[in-house]
Amino acid sequence: MEIEDGRVLVSRENRKTVGDIIVDNPRMTCRNVDVYYDDKHAIKDVSIDIGNNEVLSMIGPSGCGKSTFIRCLNRMNDTIDNCRVTGDIVMDNVNIYDKNIDVVPLRAQVGMVFQKPNPFPKSIYDNIAYGPKIHGLAANNAELDAIVETSLIKAGLWDEVKDRLGQPGTGLSGGQQQRLCIARTIAVSPEVILMDEPCSALDPIATAVIEDLITELKTQYSIVIVTHSMQQAARVSQRTAYFHLGDLIEVGPTERIFTKPRHQLTQDYITGRFG
Amino acid sequence: MKKALIFLIAIAMIATVFTPAQAASGRNYISIVGSSTVYPFATVVAEQFGKTTPFKTPKIESTGSGGGLKLFCAGIGVEHPDITNASRRIKSSEFAKCQKNGVSDIIEVKVGYDGIVLANSKKTAPLKLSRKDIFMALAKDVPDPSGATKLIPNPYKTWKDVNPSLPATKIEVLGPPPTSGTRDAFVELAMEGGGKKFGWIKAMKKKDKKKYKSICHTVREDGAYVEAGENDNLIVQKLDANPSAVGIFGFSFLDQNTDKIQGSFIDGVQPTFEAIADGQYPVSRPLFFYVKKAHTKVIPGMKEYLKEFTSEKAWGEDGYLSERGLIPMPEAERAKFKNDAGSLQTLKSVK
Amino acid sequence: MNNTQKKTRRTIDIVNQSLARRYRAERRFRLYGISAIVVSLAFLAFLFVAIAANGASAFWQTYVKLDIHFSPDTLRQASLATADYQGLVKKSLRNMFPEVKNRRDKRQLYGLASPGASFQLRKIVLDNPQIIGQKRSIWVPADDDVDMLIKGHIKREGPEESRRLKDKQLAWIDQLIAEEKLEKRFNKTFFTVGDSREPELAGVWGAVMGSFFTLIVTLLLSFPVGVAAAVYLEEFAPKNRWTDLIEININNLAAVPSIVFGLLGLAVFLNFFGLPRSAPIVGGLVLTLMTLPTIIIASRSALKSVPPSIREAALGVGASKMQMVVHHVLPLALPGMLTGTIIGMARALGETAPLLMIGMVAFIVDVPAGLTDPSTALPVQVYLWADSPERGFVERTSAAIMVLLAFLITMNATAVFLRKRFERRW
Repeated sequence: MEIEDGRVLVSRENRKTVGDIIVDNPRMTCRNVDVYYDDKHAIKDVSIDIGNNEVLSMIGPSGCGKSTFIRCLNRMNDTIDNCRVTGDIVMDNVNIYDKNIDVVPLRAQVGMVFQKPNPFPKSIYDNIAYGPKIHGLAANNAELDAIVETSLIKAGLWDEVKDRLGQPGTGLSGGQQQRLCIARTIAVSPEVILMDEPCSALDPIATAVIEDLITELKTQYSIVIVTHSMQQAARVSQRTAYFHLGDLIEVGPTERIFTKPRHQLTQDYITGRFG
Repeated sequence: MKKALIFLIAIAMIATVFTPAQAASGRNYISIVGSSTVYPFATVVAEQFGKTTPFKTPKIESTGSGGGLKLFCAGIGVEHPDITNASRRIKSSEFAKCQKNGVSDIIEVKVGYDGIVLANSKKTAPLKLSRKDIFMALAKDVPDPSGATKLIPNPYKTWKDVNPSLPATKIEVLGPPPTSGTRDAFVELAMEGGGKKFGWIKAMKKKDKKKYKSICHTVREDGAYVEAGENDNLIVQKLDANPSAVGIFGFSFLDQNTDKIQGSFIDGVQPTFEAIADGQYPVSRPLFFYVKKAHTKVIPGMKEYLKEFTSEKAWGEDGYLSERGLIPMPEAERAKFKNDAGSLQTLKSVK
Repeated sequence: MNNTQKKTRRTIDIVNQSLARRYRAERRFRLYGISAIVVSLAFLAFLFVAIAANGASAFWQTYVKLDIHFSPDTLRQASLATADYQGLVKKSLRNMFPEVKNRRDKRQLYGLASPGASFQLRKIVLDNPQIIGQKRSIWVPADDDVDMLIKGHIKREGPEESRRLKDKQLAWIDQLIAEEKLEKRFNKTFFTVGDSREPELAGVWGAVMGSFFTLIVTLLLSFPVGVAAAVYLEEFAPKNRWTDLIEININNLAAVPSIVFGLLGLAVFLNFFGLPRSAPIVGGLVLTLMTLPTIIIASRSALKSVPPSIREAALGVGASKMQMVVHHVLPLALPGMLTGTIIGMARALGETAPLLMIGMVAFIVDVPAGLTDPSTALPVQVYLWADSPERGFVERTSAAIMVLLAFLITMNATAVFLRKRFERRW
């Protein structure tokens, strides 16, 4: 099907991924990933690369499988009993779903920020220090203090909380809590940060702060963000992947996806025909 | 740290649990089981014994006569009781079981008598019953009033129905459950004694003993007889609250509560200390305890306990047990059992 | 026509029509609720008042003041332990009422003081032999019949032969009261000694210690085992038919009558392992079996109530499953687990049936000092006293129930406090 500007859109029925799934020098490569919940086929043959120092956003209507997919990247799906993952997700030349792979170092390497801010019911300091402590990243208390401070600075929270590190993390506002969670993730120095709708529980001002933060963080980390908001995806990400009912429909540079989608379904979604 | 501590304690606990032999071997107190009727007397002796001798106070469990003998006959060794109390004599089957399990030398000590009383509240007149009245009022099936030699389900609702000289109050008897020795003795002495008054039932004893027993020993189940536990202060309170009710229990309960309840006359005799002691009162039974001779060498204080129990100041006419309602034996009988206990004379056989 | 009418009626009219009925239903329901609460509170109040009214007097005990001459004739150094202390008591009583001559009257006179008086004198002399030869005024417990009379539980009226206290004894008592040699004092004995067949010498301390040792064993075994089982089942065990079966069985065990655990304890701990009868350790083991299901169920629901977001947060920063459980889930679930444990322990404290089978329903005078000493427990003491013929035990039964209730209320209050103190809202 052809539209005004001369593009030919791939028909709705064709579910083969359109666009550039491959990037140069990828941080993670996913190939032919399928996810099943018992008999339900939740992710269907998805292949995509995650580049270095980029923000990759995943968009799509509710239930399209974007959250399921992002949780494959640090094997959080392991905690769901009836979930089964096949295919290859390779990081540093190792398939993270290999039998010998330990999820503990993997999750230290691939950190995650969740939809709802979930600080531990402990002090702000302990929230940040927990990861480094269990992994033994700090040799002494001074080092630990330094990690806490840098993490909070990176998360843009230091100025707000430096005088009350001993107070409970749950006493902060929603936006602060989410930044605390980001700081907690940063504290273990991951290489990839997964964010599962990090702003969905926040007001617009807090959202803007987090978005600025994401833009800053991408200089050091690869970030994968799932979002409901196309504007957010447009604002923060370099590449965008569009999911539809378990299929990865289209991947490409964010600007192109939002201006010149190549698939009919993407076109429908970004123009608000459904979603 | 805290967790480790808890874990260590748990391990220590489990360790103590599984080193039982050492724990059990060091028993330095007498272990007594048996009848709940003898229990109030045995406990007094035990306490006296514990407080006036260097030995530990014996431990006494109230398990019922049958339950006590079962535990007693289970074997020799510190894990088995040394003495069992009984409100009846040991049965030949129990004696045989004892022998089989190696408890061959048993010393039998008769301690005295207990009367079983029917009592009601002092707010009404005492009942004047005969054993026949008791049988007629409480048996499940009674002889046909027309005189024929057959049984009909017990039709009597009031005492007056049973015997015109009795008051027209509802038959309502609170008594012990079938597991109790008091109940055994009550049906045997009072009810069977009443049933025998019917010539044809008495004749049946020779022909069909089983049938005879079932006639005499089966208590009615239509609500006139209420199973209310035995030797329970609650029965006294219930009788006090309900003057038309009658309770069945051991004499000691009557003795302790003479301000509230009174014993019914049975065959013209009221249950008093003297009447039971000289045998006039018909519903009384001997009380016993049995001792393992083998244990007297192992468990400290057993001979001294026997001595205390058989001393005049305990079971004599003016002894402290008589204050508790135990009816002493005649002097000659006391002397015999004291002598047997002192010389650890064992029981040869039970008829 | 009806049809057209319906069509023209507005929704608000239909709503208003049924409104009164709906409110009536709500009022009725509230009324049922309130009356249910009132009835149960009334029963509870009646129970407490009845027990307190019956038992309060047991905390006081009538004492008689005796002038004792520790005469060297009776107390010879060689046989102090077995000397005739009863004789000292009797002599003192005779000195107070020199007019009593005949044997029958003397017996009645001696009946005023408790048999425990001689034990008390024996202890005084053995503790301090220097006292021999001196004269002392000593308060000794009065006999239980005297005590009952002073407290008004038995009456003075009625024919003499049906009274436990005879006319002469009443006169002596009146005289003693007039001379201020008979008075009610706080019953320390009740809280410091074990069982006795003399109501005035009986105490709950033996039973309290028995319950204490039993519950210590129960707590030390059932809490770690129960929590470990709950954590394993909830966090680690795969969900399959076996774990389903285990779960069903645990729930069933929680509903099994406690006597069954007693029988199990008899068969396993006494007959198979040969542990001693009547020992708190066996009682504790049996009650452990009984409380374990309660603790496991409470602990599991406490674990379930920890939100999954906390688990994800921990896993997300790379905690292992064990670290997630120990560092985050357990601390949050602990108040709930403790509440369940305390409630389980309170239930264990009130049990008699399983203890019956393992010989803890027994007359035990000596206060237990260890896990293998023969002992009873508080509810057993209540049961035993309720079965005792002496009138003095009626009030002591109620008093023992009050002690038991005090412990139960303390334990449940602790549970409520823990819950309030450490509860987190999400």
